[in-house]
Amino acid sequence: MVKFPILLDIYQRGEGPLKRVERISLPEAGDYSIGRIGDNQIVLDTPEVSKQHAWLLVREDGIAVSDRGSTNRTYIGDSEVDTSPWDGALPIRIAQFEIHLVPQTSAGETRVNVPQENATRAFSAGTTSSAPAARAPRGQSIEVALNAPSAPNETRFPRNIFKGEIVSAQEIKASEFFAGETTYITVGGGLGSFVWADHLRIFGVGTGEIRAIGDSPIPYANYQRLCRNSQIPPHERLRSNSLSTPDNIWGFPGYASRETWKDLKEFRFTGIKYIFQVFGEASLAQTFTPRSGEVFKSIDREAQRIGWRDMFVAGRVLSIRKTNDERYAVAYRVPEDDARAGVRERVMIGKFLHISTGYPATRFTDDLQAFKARFPEEARVFNAYENHEAVYRNLESNPVPATVVVRGRGIVASRIIQRLYETRDKNKHIKIVHQMRNPIGKNEGYRYKRAQRYVYNHIENQAFNWPKATWGGQLLRETERATPEERVKIYEALGGTTTADRRDWRNIIQLGIGDNWYQPVFGHFETLELVKTDQGPKIQMRLKAQRNQPAVEVVADYVLDCTGLIGDITHSPLLRDLAETYKLPRNLGVGGGKIGGIFVSPDFEIPALRNGSGRAYAAGQITLGGPQPGVDTFLGMQYSALRSVDHMAVLGAPNVSLFGPLRSFSQWIKWCKNATP
Amino acid sequence: MVPTLKGRWSTRILLFLWVGVPITFLFSLFVAGPGSPRLPLIGLHYDILPFQILSLLLIVGLILDPVYFYIQQFRWERDWPFAFQFFFSIIEFVIVLGLVWWGALNFSQARPDLHSSESYFLYTLHFAFVFIPSFIAVLGFIQIFMIRWRFKSGEWGRM
Repeated sequence: MVKFPILLDIYQRGEGPLKRVERISLPEAGDYSIGRIGDNQIVLDTPEVSKQHAWLLVREDGIAVSDRGSTNRTYIGDSEVDTSPWDGALPIRIAQFEIHLVPQTSAGETRVNVPQENATRAFSAGTTSSAPAARAPRGQSIEVALNAPSAPNETRFPRNIFKGEIVSAQEIKASEFFAGETTYITVGGGLGSFVWADHLRIFGVGTGEIRAIGDSPIPYANYQRLCRNSQIPPHERLRSNSLSTPDNIWGFPGYASRETWKDLKEFRFTGIKYIFQVFGEASLAQTFTPRSGEVFKSIDREAQRIGWRDMFVAGRVLSIRKTNDERYAVAYRVPEDDARAGVRERVMIGKFLHISTGYPATRFTDDLQAFKARFPEEARVFNAYENHEAVYRNLESNPVPATVVVRGRGIVASRIIQRLYETRDKNKHIKIVHQMRNPIGKNEGYRYKRAQRYVYNHIENQAFNWPKATWGGQLLRETERATPEERVKIYEALGGTTTADRRDWRNIIQLGIGDNWYQPVFGHFETLELVKTDQGPKIQMRLKAQRNQPAVEVVADYVLDCTGLIGDITHSPLLRDLAETYKLPRNLGVGGGKIGGIFVSPDFEIPALRNGSGRAYAAGQITLGGPQPGVDTFLGMQYSALRSVDHMAVLGAPNVSLFGPLRSFSQWIKWCKNATP
Repeated sequence: MVPTLKGRWSTRILLFLWVGVPITFLFSLFVAGPGSPRLPLIGLHYDILPFQILSLLLIVGLILDPVYFYIQQFRWERDWPFAFQFFFSIIEFVIVLGLVWWGALNFSQARPDLHSSESYFLYTLHFAFVFIPSFIAVLGFIQIFMIRWRFKSGEWGRM
């Protein structure tokens, strides 16, 4: 039961920590609109917030939040939501704002940010404010007006036209939402969509027959953001092979020979080393990996060549249905600027569908999530994929002793440690505590059949996130042929967190251990509390003892969570709706009980979405646990695109050639000449 | 490279047919003397010996492929670095030279010139002419024509 009035705290993230800007009180049940412009009940006035951004649906028995097709979307914690109940455990996030539910005591009074169980602890009272913050003056970024709640919006798009599993193409074509018909639609608009469209174009399909619906016209926009935040600036190298070329379907020339060529043209003869790296990797030379900036440039060139802008449609896909004429209807909402007489909803119909929407959310391990929810004003805990530049800035500008806990043992942790090592140039007092779940001995690396993975400093080393032969060798064949149960075993043996065997990273670890500023610790956090110290608030943590070792106490300034992104498709409203509507089978997940991605055939078709002669395919992370392990990689996307486009060619899909050697060669020449396919 | 055994054999035969045989043909025209047989119709002299050497290379390679594949099983990545490919190709050639020295080619006709130092130089030259383009093809040129080759662990054909 909900007690009225409901109190909400609105926080805003600026340069540093979250600042509470407003407390509002909702006196009664109703639908409260959130948005940028003045006729909303809750006004969040910054450009990133849409005019009509979301509804807060307040009922006697609970609260729900519902996105209204906003450009920058609505989140609960880190999960994007379409419509979802809200219990207040995690804040609602809209652009740089967070809306927190103020916990209610039985007496009806409120306490700010201090959960009940901590109220009596000595340090809680001192470190968090228990008095209401001063009201923000009017005219600032937040404005709250409690107008009368408007009528509930029961028939929201696309539910009003997507009734049932099969929708009528005739009705859609007669509706105001109809946006046209095409042959090939790819949903996502990221790298997975781009690589798929690239194959189609080169196999013979024109730009007019392909539409890619997504957020950003730059196909690598999301990937680039994740790279930047996880400390891969343009000059840093990705974890990707030379021949994994999202801009070139042949994988030749690879990035290594291109880099060599570029250097030789400028008479830098050391450039020849890249080719020798590929020649000798991984046994005689360190594996070559391309610079992120070079990869993005190459994708720009290919996007231009294949006419990506002509195929791209800006929009957020809301829902997908089979049509009654053996096709698919894709409902999406375009940005406000593209509205047609105020209508932003659209439905496009296509014969062949491709879904590649990527990771639904960033992961926060539960204890860190809880800490963030409890202390929203403390910008001390970050996921490595979030923007956390401020951490390094603060550490550099304020050279006092500081401890940073890095959680996780993957490649992102390696990069973060590298960045902290660089930050140490300006602040020699930084200490790194590297928290890993458990120690791994020299000979305790994963085994698969006759081979074993190499371990260095309790971290398993591997050039890429899967062994090489999963992208086209023996291990791919074995995964493809395996039963679902056998697949889980293969995934368990081959997967797991690894980092790349890079000489510079090893040196950093050795230096750190030698000079005593790097310390690996093992275990789970038992406690995670905010304490007030002479140097300001810090995070006190206690790690549960592991393997007869004593428990470790750490007082940290920052915690950087490098445990990755969430792959669970149910965090995506679109995929959840699709999976529920058509009862899509899911792959078995690794680790017992967990569920993997959408089940696809070796051709990356989603069998449950087959609609007469219409076909639906998926690619990328959302297919994890299927016939190919490295689905979220450049090469994995090239493989899945080739499989599905080849599949369509055999089915006789319009203008998709069988792509034999001669066509392949002539298209490759066109690629070299940067000519339209 | 991440070949399987079937992929190794397929790629070897592919390179034999598309790189080895044409280059060996040109080479055999070049080394043929006036006593060599003539091609029908064109009438050019050719030498059968380079084809015999090439075939020996193929046979030695096909026999060694399972050994390489077995070694791969102990590599975590199940891969085969280009450097290994390079090194073992030269080993294969040395084995072929050993077979020639032992007399493996003495079955057809008496060839007194078979073991002269000039002949061994020509064998090496022939090997270099065949091996260098083959190796470059494996480095990436095959993919230009056969886009699926790299995903099929070295086998030909469609997915």
